[in-house]
Amino acid sequence: MVHETDAILFADWIWPALLFFLEAAALLGLLALIGGFLVAAFRYGPMAGGDTAYRMIRTGLVDFVSISPRRIAALSWLAVQESLRRRVLVGFGVFLLILLFAGWFLDSRSNDPAALYLSFVLTATTWLVLLMALFLSALSLPADIKNHTIYTIVTKPVRPGEIVLGRIIGFAVIGSILLAIMGVFSYVFVSRVLSHTHEVEVASLKKAPNDPTGAQTGRTSSVLNHRHQVNLDEKGNGSTDIVQGHYHQVTTERDGDKVRYVLSPPRDLLTARVPLYASGLRFKDRTGKGSDRGINVGNEWKYRSFIEGGSLAAATFTFDDITPERFPEELPIEMTIRVFRSYKGDIEKGILGSLVLKNPRTGRASQLITFRAKDFYIDSLPISRKLTDPAGNSIDLFADLVVDGQLDIELQCLDDSQYFGVAKPDIYLRARDASFTMNFVKSYLSIWVQMLLVTGFGVMFSTFLSGAVAMMATLATLVMGFFKQFVFDVAQGSIQGGGPIESFIRIFKQQNVTTQLEPGLTTDVVKAGDQVFMWFMSHVTTLLPDFRHFDDVDYVAHGFDIPPDTILIQLFTALAYVAAVFAIGYFFLRTREVAR
Amino acid sequence: MASDVVVETRNLSKVYRDFWGRQKVRALKALDLEIRRGEIFGLLGPNGSGKTTTIKLLLGLLFPTSGQALIFGRDATDVSKNERLGYLPEESYLYRFLNAEETLDFYGRLFDMSAADRKRRTTELIDLVGLNWAKRRQLKEYSKGMARRIGLAQALINDPELILLDEPTSGLDPIGTREMKDLILRLKGQGKTVLMSSHLLADVQDVCDRIAILHQGELKELGRVDSLLKVRDETEIRARGLSESAQSEIRAVIERHQGTVLAMDNPTTTLEDLFLAIVRDSEARPGRRAKPEHDPEPNAAPNR
Repeated sequence: MVHETDAILFADWIWPALLFFLEAAALLGLLALIGGFLVAAFRYGPMAGGDTAYRMIRTGLVDFVSISPRRIAALSWLAVQESLRRRVLVGFGVFLLILLFAGWFLDSRSNDPAALYLSFVLTATTWLVLLMALFLSALSLPADIKNHTIYTIVTKPVRPGEIVLGRIIGFAVIGSILLAIMGVFSYVFVSRVLSHTHEVEVASLKKAPNDPTGAQTGRTSSVLNHRHQVNLDEKGNGSTDIVQGHYHQVTTERDGDKVRYVLSPPRDLLTARVPLYASGLRFKDRTGKGSDRGINVGNEWKYRSFIEGGSLAAATFTFDDITPERFPEELPIEMTIRVFRSYKGDIEKGILGSLVLKNPRTGRASQLITFRAKDFYIDSLPISRKLTDPAGNSIDLFADLVVDGQLDIELQCLDDSQYFGVAKPDIYLRARDASFTMNFVKSYLSIWVQMLLVTGFGVMFSTFLSGAVAMMATLATLVMGFFKQFVFDVAQGSIQGGGPIESFIRIFKQQNVTTQLEPGLTTDVVKAGDQVFMWFMSHVTTLLPDFRHFDDVDYVAHGFDIPPDTILIQLFTALAYVAAVFAIGYFFLRTREVAR
Repeated sequence: MASDVVVETRNLSKVYRDFWGRQKVRALKALDLEIRRGEIFGLLGPNGSGKTTTIKLLLGLLFPTSGQALIFGRDATDVSKNERLGYLPEESYLYRFLNAEETLDFYGRLFDMSAADRKRRTTELIDLVGLNWAKRRQLKEYSKGMARRIGLAQALINDPELILLDEPTSGLDPIGTREMKDLILRLKGQGKTVLMSSHLLADVQDVCDRIAILHQGELKELGRVDSLLKVRDETEIRARGLSESAQSEIRAVIERHQGTVLAMDNPTTTLEDLFLAIVRDSEARPGRRAKPEHDPEPNAAPNR
């Protein structure tokens, strides 16, 4: 898994986020109040306008304190009943169908089938649940208004906020149930599809070269389009090599003369690594001089910077909390280094790199530990506690290199004119493995959060728009939320081709984005129109949730534990949005006539 | 007594506008009404006269363009007033996927009633409207009459002080109509206030204490039903035991011939006649208060 941003800790995030939320809420509340007053003043005069605005605030407060959990529960229950009536379970049927036929279009020869299958089921679940939430939430209230069933609700002591909240909760409940069922099926599907074992091909076993102990090597049978190489010790126990992201342990069972080799189920296939990331990263340039960043190789995305191979350039990662209790046997280093080749070389071989473990205080260092790095691969490099220094003396990791739990790891690229690109999360220590099942559950929690957001927006839009329009507005929110950065770039003019009007003209005229429009009044008008539209778009987009921040599929697919901080941030962000859409929905429902 | 006024409208007007804010229809014009505790008040008028608009304004389903609607002295948009009222819409706008018990339980929960109260009230009301035999059937399987009955039951779930009934007998068979009218009278007997609108003049005549007749959004007549129906410029004498020849010299001859006067009063017209006369007059003189051929009683509610 390749990180594109630094991980944020919940404790660092919550207070600034809360402050921003309160500021935004106060500002929007004030704007709503001024807008409401102006509209009322325009319609009824300034005094009556003031009175209307005052009554609105007073009613809002009274409604807020009068919210009844029993009424909300009743309205939620109604929303659940309505969802079932709308055949929401058809969505589940579609999901089952997709799973049934998944084998037809998923590449079983993939290098990482776990990532492939997990990405597939999680993405399918996400979109199905989001679409279901979209339909249910956006159509429900308008249908009630159209059928006049809302009359029997609003003529009871039901507050508009309770109607909004009841619906959000109701649809969230039905979505949660559906999501839980889909989760169970997905888990069973992935586990069963990936579960396999092999037979050791006895005829292939032969003594390991240059090994007097009687160790053997051989290969396994081919299952699911792959086979492994087997390495057995003199007792016949051992393991296979890593193919398609997993390996098997091998044990030998003897019954008289009969020897049977038993392979375990796949190991490391469905994992949830808990990485210990570096607390700091600093660079040296090609002359060995210290620097904050490496060099830019022309990559537009500046998150990573690069170190030049065959020079003194290096990236030094500082790790904290390195203790013998956490790492009693070895230091399990894993890397996701980006490789930038200035010439092709042997593409299969990988680029040669080295790691040096250093005492951050004394500078004492281990010998070079070399490896070959390939782009988009997780390179695993377990480092033993017992090391040697450059002079060949034995050193102990904890006694000689770690100071107060701190350790420096220096990375260098050894091949001339090739480059390694790194950011802070690209070298980490695999501190432990969390439960894959729990990680899977956490990924469903992130889907649940997205569903909650879509539901909230759907219900909010449905308080003042008709069903079809509310659905379109929610869909637009979803799409803009997923492509927020792109919309921003378009709005800020950093993408070639201009705004929507200019783009339309270019499509119509089949004109390349790099050529300028003909100067003249028409072009000026078009550009001015685009400016207004893009200003509006950038401000609207700012307010919308960035749905990519709620997407944890990559974590699970690539075997990383979803950090609890990430889940907490997602949950609190979603709750903040739900609070906002609840307030907006309340306002619109309170100020609209439900009858015609 | 001011506290006796349950419903009050002051200069209540409603203009429907289109998307662009242009006036489409003036549905109600400066309506002034007072409905007192314990009375059955009927809103009468042809289609489009503003009856349903008035009820919707009173319920807060619509907002007035000008004027004010007060229920229990509170603004009609105040949700808390709903604690004490029940509403039966023109059609039973209920959730068709629920059964009768679920429906009443659901509406009971909206009144924050406890589970025990909801259960008790549900049983009582299902008995009252005679749907015990169909209480577990989904409402989509109900006939129109059955739907009206369960609609009425939901309107009474909170034992309301004020009940607004929009066309309560519509869709009911003669027996159902009779039962509905009996129920309305029973509710009055329990001290409840009932505001009903209806096209069925006989129903209104049978149960209402006072009526308001609306036409084209304007109040045309308001008063007690018995007063409004009284023909003031005529005298009706009912007598027994008179010979044919004595009938020409009514009062004097009765005395002279030792006959017994059984009744001497003004005759009444039917509500249907009154209604049609008002509508005809309103069409002839739009924007003016009704002036039927027979003047209403002087102490009828004043024209506001």
